[in-house]
Amino acid sequence: MSEKIPIEPIDELRFRIPRDERRGMRTDVIVYASREILDQIRKDLSLEQAINVATLPGIVGPSLAMPDIHQGYGFPIGGVAATDWEHGVVSPGGVGFDINCGVRLVRTNLTRSEVEPRLRDLVNQTFRDIPCGTGGAGHLQITEKQLDEILVKGARWMVENGYGEPADAEFAEEGGRLEGADPDKVSHRAKERGRPQLGTIGSGNHFLEIQYVEQIHDEAAARAMGLELGQVVVLIHCGSRGLGHQVCTDYLAQMGAAMKKYNITLPDRQLACVPIQSPEGQAYLAAMRASANFAWANRQAILHFLRGSFEKVFGKSARLSLIYDVCHNIAKRERHAVNGDKRDVLVHRKGATRAFPPGHREIPAAYRHIGQPVLIPGSMGTASWILVGAEGAMKETFGSVCHGAGRLMSRTAAKKGRDARQVLKSLEEAGIVAKSETRDGILEEIPEAYKNVDEVIEVVHRAGLARKVARLRPIGVIKG
Amino acid sequence: MFEVLDHTADIGFRAWGATRAELFANAALALESIAVDMSGARDLEPYPIAASGDDEESLLVNWLNEVLYYLDGRRVVMSRFEIEEPGPFQVSGKAWGEPRDPDRHPGKLVVKGVTYHQLRIGKDARGWYAEVYLDI
Repeated sequence: MSEKIPIEPIDELRFRIPRDERRGMRTDVIVYASREILDQIRKDLSLEQAINVATLPGIVGPSLAMPDIHQGYGFPIGGVAATDWEHGVVSPGGVGFDINCGVRLVRTNLTRSEVEPRLRDLVNQTFRDIPCGTGGAGHLQITEKQLDEILVKGARWMVENGYGEPADAEFAEEGGRLEGADPDKVSHRAKERGRPQLGTIGSGNHFLEIQYVEQIHDEAAARAMGLELGQVVVLIHCGSRGLGHQVCTDYLAQMGAAMKKYNITLPDRQLACVPIQSPEGQAYLAAMRASANFAWANRQAILHFLRGSFEKVFGKSARLSLIYDVCHNIAKRERHAVNGDKRDVLVHRKGATRAFPPGHREIPAAYRHIGQPVLIPGSMGTASWILVGAEGAMKETFGSVCHGAGRLMSRTAAKKGRDARQVLKSLEEAGIVAKSETRDGILEEIPEAYKNVDEVIEVVHRAGLARKVARLRPIGVIKG
Repeated sequence: MFEVLDHTADIGFRAWGATRAELFANAALALESIAVDMSGARDLEPYPIAASGDDEESLLVNWLNEVLYYLDGRRVVMSRFEIEEPGPFQVSGKAWGEPRDPDRHPGKLVVKGVTYHQLRIGKDARGWYAEVYLDI
């Protein structure tokens, strides 16, 4: 636990663990949190893990902890670390097993009052059309050759092959496709695991939620995203499925020998890393990008099937348009100002979301004046948020913010003394229809298991890392 | 024999065995039981299974990675293991199971990977034990 670690306040929302706190630290840890959230953070190992991240060779700037931080393995979840592109390391643990786990937000041309009378039909239809894949495969049959194309082209492959509309590839981080992916660096096993799972959500905290716009905090930004109060949207939270998981496993297994070769020693084996410019580092990055592309293709396939579900329930006039798609488990080469100099760095975002400010050239033209949309899924049945990136993120956090509410309670603790039927009933009383492939899926993700997402959002908003645009409330939940 | 361990976001298990072979078998069964409901699983067909590692820890992690690959990649549920006493750097044997069927083996949690997080292997009065955390 991290209660004993000395931590000094910088201001109300920023706290520092100085680099001289522990031998081997190359930089400070900076935590973004309120006092209340900090007290919660100190109850698990996340600050220990943020300290371990500060020992990574070639780390540039501080090891950053977002307010939704919680204990992971190696890296904390809700952590950001940038490493020098020429002399730093890449750590597969800094990306995680679920490469390009991310969030996609879709707007509909329907209102809450139009959807609610048919809500149960819609949830059932969506549940049939988009399997979670805890037991079986998805509805999409692709060949090995097509999979290799998907690993290079990402969401664009889907759009080009009839699983989407042209705008779908435009309104996504990186246009739904990272350059520099190499399918040959992805093992046969990873492809075998991932291929039948394309178009599935997965389990754990992954979900698809039908939501409505409950509050608007920034009219101009909401207008740019085509959002009004009461409008129904769909939030999709999932990643690269077995393909990305196996890529992480494969490269972690190789890292032990490579670390000996490069004389790297670390306090936690799960932090395994190699120099970015080594053959091993470059191979991992090429495989990671391919996995990221698979994840974007996966979320695009889900959007395609979702359009079918809405059409079956509401007819052909139902229109679904992609607002944006972000990844929150990724390492990307970006250019950032560090101590006054522009430098190329590899930004590891482990449970953290890119949040570029207004004017950044990576943002689609339609949003460039408001800042990059940042999509923060909350816990099941509570609320999710739309933010836009702000200047503070560029100055302080390598253009990054939080990614969710952050867990407080273990899965076993969440299940203790609770009954799935009771949870479903209380969700229903709150106007939410939920459906899960597994009994435990609902229990383990109860809202009480998470921090309050509103408090997390308040921290990043007040710290100037991102600005609040809208709060979304769920009415339909589909889970693994 | 095994029990489930708590972790804020993920899940772990502690497995025991009178011998290392038994420990490896029980650790494999723990992973299978966390991922799927094993109550209907049958040991119909044999599957060869082996792993190697640089040390005790990586041997166990790589072994569990093989089990996970069978489950999520080859789509095989394995419910019985016949393992020869593992060497320091390799383990091999035969697993008995059947192709995965969502009706017979309902999914519980998708296990993404096997981690080194707080990994422990050792020996106490009861024999060999191991603690492993899985990414969910």
